[in-house]
Amino acid sequence: VASSVVLGCGRHLPPTAVTNEELAPALGVPAAALSERTGIARRYYAADGVGASDLACEAARSALSAARAEPADVDLIIFATMTPDIAFPGSGCFLQDKLGCRTVGALDVRAQCAGFLFALATADRFVRSGAVERVLVVGAEVHSTALESAPRAADVTPVFGDGAGVVLLGPSATPGVLATVLHSDPTDFERFWCEFPASRHVPARMELAQLHAGLHYYRLDAAAVHPQAERALGEVTREALARAEVSPAAVALLIVHYFDPRVARRAATAAGFPEERVLATAEAAGHVAAAGIPIALADALAVGRVGQGDVVCCAAFGAGMSWGAAVLRL
Amino acid sequence: MNSRVLGLGHHVPERRVTNADLTRVMDTSDEWIQQRTGIQERRFIAADAGPSDLALPAARDALREAGVAATDLDLILLATLSPDIDFPSSASLLQRHLGVRGMPAMDVRNQCSGFLYMLAVADQFIRTGAARYILVCGAEVHSTGLDLSTIGREVAVIFGDGAGAAVLGPEPDPRRGILSTHLHSEGKYAEKLMIEVPTGRQRPRVTPEMLSGPGSRLWPRMEGRYVFKHAVTRFPEVIQEALAAHGHTPADLDLLIPHQANLRISQMVAAGLELPEEKVFNNIQRYGNTTAASIPIALHEAVGEGRVQPGALVCLAAFGAGFTWAAALVRW
Repeated sequence: VASSVVLGCGRHLPPTAVTNEELAPALGVPAAALSERTGIARRYYAADGVGASDLACEAARSALSAARAEPADVDLIIFATMTPDIAFPGSGCFLQDKLGCRTVGALDVRAQCAGFLFALATADRFVRSGAVERVLVVGAEVHSTALESAPRAADVTPVFGDGAGVVLLGPSATPGVLATVLHSDPTDFERFWCEFPASRHVPARMELAQLHAGLHYYRLDAAAVHPQAERALGEVTREALARAEVSPAAVALLIVHYFDPRVARRAATAAGFPEERVLATAEAAGHVAAAGIPIALADALAVGRVGQGDVVCCAAFGAGMSWGAAVLRL
Repeated sequence: MNSRVLGLGHHVPERRVTNADLTRVMDTSDEWIQQRTGIQERRFIAADAGPSDLALPAARDALREAGVAATDLDLILLATLSPDIDFPSSASLLQRHLGVRGMPAMDVRNQCSGFLYMLAVADQFIRTGAARYILVCGAEVHSTGLDLSTIGREVAVIFGDGAGAAVLGPEPDPRRGILSTHLHSEGKYAEKLMIEVPTGRQRPRVTPEMLSGPGSRLWPRMEGRYVFKHAVTRFPEVIQEALAAHGHTPADLDLLIPHQANLRISQMVAAGLELPEEKVFNNIQRYGNTTAASIPIALHEAVGEGRVQPGALVCLAAFGAGFTWAAALVRW
């Protein structure tokens, strides 16, 4: 198979928008200060009982509809998340059932905020090798159930939101996915991590002591991560474009996925992109880790900001630290 | 371009836990455990160690046998259902233990089928020329997630800790290496074998009540008979699928390495396929069920015992939580 191409894209955000004004009292910081610290004004929270696979199911239906395809046409599900429905099995299995797919493979991958690009690169390889034809590539997160409502979380909680985005990838005679580039550097992963539950902890992977100490909450040292992210996002964008043999001028839209949209925009500027051709994912609905890129892509397609034949570059950086970029011709 | 196994390694903790040891903390017996599962002993970590720590020596051995330096790896994959920490991935932790950076690291979370799902991923990357050398590790630390009291005995007696690793690389001969991989899932039965907590779908995702007492939702839950029934159907189905894709029948197989879920399942599958005992590899007696780690541990032992000779036709097959099931057909 010559290449893989995006056949359809869909996204789903839960209906409840949460503003900084609503978060401010519990976090003990004025709403304006929350905006100042994070660059994020609002995010969406799923209702109790709704998991990543539920949000993904809605997004998958949109993606299939956009591709004029049915659940029975799906040959493989690849599900990227850092907030699965339950500890195991993976959310892809739940999606297989909820969507009504055949008993196809349901691969769950974990690469945190860059997870969608890791899943997309994997899907691209499954299509190119001819192993399968149509792959549902899913990014979905329910972060809100993992967030702390206390002053010590004022720099973390406002960052995250819930949502899902899905791309249906299929075979193509003409190049669609032009290049994918993936990287990880675990040197300083404790700058952005969540420790518990931890199977490495004897005698039990989580006890009340860790719960009371709050070790099951995300820990994020944003100031330490920003410089590494800004540099890596610029570099990986250039690397992917070079591999795709596409100049920045030929790119209709650069989607930059990072938890601080201001850092994302600075990286885009440094890579030679004018502001009007840049979309920073966190601006619309906060940081939705593995789902940020497909949500942004679906939104850009829906409003006609990009269309068939356009070249889109997507770059992401996050926990791990893992990052990557993909160049797509729609 | 096919991919093939260039090197293998495995590592299990030193601490042996026999069935007799378990009778000291729960109401069970050596006879009951052996009759139902075939397991005689398993390994448990003795001090803090995660899957990435167990994977490290296995990975080093696999790299050494392959003659590949860690810095030459294009991708690091780790399959587990018992990650070291909540995030980032255990693959990232293994990458740091190996002292390398730059190449991507990703976890695969497909339970007992995890090693074969991961093998399928690695195979596509190598076949399409996107990667040359890939490290694939299956690694689990179950012992910190088991209810070792009488209430949890049905599940707790089954699982053990361990890790297995393989280095994959390109194989120019299309008749050799990994011939194909076959992946399946059926999420209708996702909650027949699961660990629920932390659960993203409940607010908050962990509470004191979820962690406490005999009903703790941090421990695995299994409807054993249900799992058994599906396993003995899906195992032969996917093995036949893999063989048929290459015009083979079970009689052509030199060795079947089933995921070590339960010796009784392996025996029923072998009988159904009319495979003689010497063509099926089992080591669950010594390690228990190590989920994503069981196939690479078994493969490494089988090769070490001379049971996989060059040119042998080997089928790797798995069934487990999800439900997920999978097979890989390999010409050694």
